[in-house]
Amino acid sequence: MTPHSLTAGRGLSWLPPVPLIRAKLLELRKRRTLMIVIVAFTVGLPVIFYGVRLLYHLGDPARYAPAGAPDAFATAGTLMGEFGFIAAAALGVTAGTADLTEGMFRHLVITGRSRLALYLARIPAGLSILLSLAAAGFAVTCLVTAFLGTPDTASAVTVTVGDMVRSGLWLELYLLTGFVVGLGLGSLMGQRTVPVVLLVVLEIIITPVLADHPLPFFLNGERLVVGVAMDQLKPAALAGGTTVGPSGGLVHLPPMPTWAMISVIAGWIVGWSVIGAWRMATRDA
Amino acid sequence: MPSQRFSEPVACPAGGWAVEVHGLSKRFGDLAAVDDVDLLVPRGSAFGYLGPNGAGKTTLIRVLLGLTRADSGTTSLLGLPVPGQRARALARVGAIVDEPRFHGHLSGRENLKILAAARGGDAEKQIGPALDRTGLTQRADDKVAAYSMGMRQRLGLSACLLADPQLLILDEPMNGLDPAGMREMRDMLRGLAAEGRTVVLSSHLLDEVERTCDQVAIVDHGRVVRQGPIHELTEGTGVAVEVQCSDPAAAARALGEPATGTRVAVGEEGLTVTLAGGPAREQTAELNRRLVEAGISVYGLRQAHASLEDWFLSMTSRFGADQ
Repeated sequence: MTPHSLTAGRGLSWLPPVPLIRAKLLELRKRRTLMIVIVAFTVGLPVIFYGVRLLYHLGDPARYAPAGAPDAFATAGTLMGEFGFIAAAALGVTAGTADLTEGMFRHLVITGRSRLALYLARIPAGLSILLSLAAAGFAVTCLVTAFLGTPDTASAVTVTVGDMVRSGLWLELYLLTGFVVGLGLGSLMGQRTVPVVLLVVLEIIITPVLADHPLPFFLNGERLVVGVAMDQLKPAALAGGTTVGPSGGLVHLPPMPTWAMISVIAGWIVGWSVIGAWRMATRDA
Repeated sequence: MPSQRFSEPVACPAGGWAVEVHGLSKRFGDLAAVDDVDLLVPRGSAFGYLGPNGAGKTTLIRVLLGLTRADSGTTSLLGLPVPGQRARALARVGAIVDEPRFHGHLSGRENLKILAAARGGDAEKQIGPALDRTGLTQRADDKVAAYSMGMRQRLGLSACLLADPQLLILDEPMNGLDPAGMREMRDMLRGLAAEGRTVVLSSHLLDEVERTCDQVAIVDHGRVVRQGPIHELTEGTGVAVEVQCSDPAAAARALGEPATGTRVAVGEEGLTVTLAGGPAREQTAELNRRLVEAGISVYGLRQAHASLEDWFLSMTSRFGADQ
């Protein structure tokens, strides 16, 4: 084996090679407890939700709408967004901290591989788990809506294929954001518990409060919170049909222009990626 | 005692230097963990980096491997500057720093797969041979969480071998090993050195360094006190004289305050006096004369080369006296 063969393929040294991404994927998916939580929050949640709805409808069809009714689609999608964000954040934090806390970071750095490549390998590895599971869970939602629902004749609301595609993309974007923010924050802090707690608080306390109660005299600064921007970007089908925002999203705040929503979300994704990569590159191993 | 510096150029050995360090310093606040260190490790040698706990051994290794940055100085591994050409340099370097830790939820083999993927090239093909060599093949598919400390050390060595290394840097590899494990590790390191690989063994265990290495650097308080081939260092600095006599304790008192650099150790059957550098015959005769004049019956005097331990203690005691 020559030195060349060992350093071959490191021309673009910051680019993670496929085997490195696969190795990181292996490391993540073998975490049984974490995987159970993520499967439960992405696939288990809609399965249980629709299972209960189905039983209610079968028990009393006059009182309970079919499981695949439009309101159920909105509720399931919103729940998947909320819980999926938390699962994504937990996965991101784990991906960002496991090497460090478990002593592998030093071994990896000693291989001579670029630290940036080591960081970037975590993103496709984590997202391949997260987004595929979220897609599977959302597929359940779509199937139930398509085959076990009837249009709500009272309000004439229906869920079209276009609504499903938009909702699916919104959900994947929300989870992607949660993962990248978790990864960056975890890498920055170098430990697992505090970043997870911070992101859970952000998602279930800070974001809903700010979405419902704009901060006075703060120049609409609450819109810089990613969850608020995501809420505004939420497709009409997930917002239960009461839409007012320019994108059709349900909002309690004055509507944000689309470019502002995209900027806030992109800012969180890019910003936390840069922070995480910087910390990874400068941290003592 | 100041750090040993190479004021004149040191002749480069035929194979070149595996590790070359000049004027390296690393501080943590007010503490100089590595203080203006020069270090030259010839290629193909088994080199001991010896010092007490807290002497700065691990910090120097971390700087060498690019795990942390130095405040000043230059380093190169296998002729390549670090951190300038770190990736190329580390491509043929294997290292264990501190206690080897791995992902506990993965098997030993899976952990090696991750490291092989990070190394790239042919490293994955080395997993099987590396596990065979370290005797871990049978347990390679068990979770690392179930490994003993000794098995983790061996897994760490397996990780080093993925690079087919020309240079191995091992920080306290005997830590946590039982006597049998220490012997196995020692044999493995000797075998690797015999293949022409450079082995740098950092340790506070004098005996292990003496048994495994042919060259040594003594480090204390972040400074390299002396370095060179073990036989030259121990021959040049002192001779141990074993004295059999009627009253070892009285003999020790009769010798009074030993000259700087000597050490008197009292045993059941006599005492051992480590002489300072200089003409050993004359010093031995003077030693005998002083004991006889003090009324102590001397049954025998036997010269022996000072062990690395004697030499190390004399060096560090001198260092302490200078402070």
